[in-house]
Amino acid sequence: MHELSIARALIEAAATAARDAGAQRVTRLRCRVGALRMVDPRLLGEAFAAAREGTACASAELDVTPVGLHGRCRACDHDFSISGWDWRCPICGGEGEGLTAGDELELVSIDAETSDEG
Amino acid sequence: MRVDVLRNVFARNEAAAAENRRLLDQRRIVCINLLGGAGSGKTTLLEAVMPRLRGHMRVAVLEGDLATTRDADRIAALDVPVVQLLTDGGCHLNATLVQHGLARLPLDEIDLVVIENVGNPICPANFDLGEHARIAVLSVAEGSDKPSKYPLLFKEARLVVITKCDLLAMTDFDLDQAMRDIRRINPDALVIPTDARGGRGIEDVAQWLRSRCRVGADVECLNVMG
Repeated sequence: MHELSIARALIEAAATAARDAGAQRVTRLRCRVGALRMVDPRLLGEAFAAAREGTACASAELDVTPVGLHGRCRACDHDFSISGWDWRCPICGGEGEGLTAGDELELVSIDAETSDEG
Repeated sequence: MRVDVLRNVFARNEAAAAENRRLLDQRRIVCINLLGGAGSGKTTLLEAVMPRLRGHMRVAVLEGDLATTRDADRIAALDVPVVQLLTDGGCHLNATLVQHGLARLPLDEIDLVVIENVGNPICPANFDLGEHARIAVLSVAEGSDKPSKYPLLFKEARLVVITKCDLLAMTDFDLDQAMRDIRRINPDALVIPTDARGGRGIEDVAQWLRSRCRVGADVECLNVMG
């Protein structure tokens, strides 16, 4: 259940970003989660709902953008989408590639408001 | 107002991991993160390998578990310094816990720290602890489909140890298929099939650890070795 650690880390990062921007409350968090991170979006949502209580994100919504796996073939340099955990290059069949997308775990942006707003 | 953040969610963990790595590099200590599912044979592998490191390097173990000191007791019985890290139900170690563990080890007298992570093939792979290399452990009893099912564990491992190979004849485990799947996910990983009871592959694992950790060797150089 690393979803709870992720939810807590998201909340902390969002609260810090809001404070740095002079805001008090976070109303929305936007994050990107790569497929390699093996995060269950439903569990992440539940973990977030539990972890946000009593924080600057107490009334915030969480938007999760999943990012699929992409690799670059070492043999032919082709950039391709990896589906079904099949890591072979679809052009040349080359085994093994550098991952170009899919390992993200990022807080991209937040919506925040000050106490006298909303 | 909208605030752009673009921040790694685990930035705090990664900062702590970088601190650990700096401390270890200063002291010329090599650190290995040993990962694998519950019951995959991580502790048994350590029990088999440790005696073969004696006389070559001074080893310590950080033992990660949800509860109990059973694994740490097994390591301590080998006369190896060990600190039990309890996550109190948490499914993975993080770099801060490891920092506390390192602080309790006699670092001046150690060449290699092995962190045995919490038994779990998924979550721990997400957390950098400050290690120099990862070893992923997969047991024959778990099934040869696991590299494809838990790719992150294998993607970031320098060495993959397949344990319990004495059970091969009793299971449907397809060793060739498992090796192919691991190579596909991580072509640079070395794969060593082992059997701790019969001794197969144990010397190869010990040799891999010894070559990583020649006393006085440059840690940076060790990082780029296959």
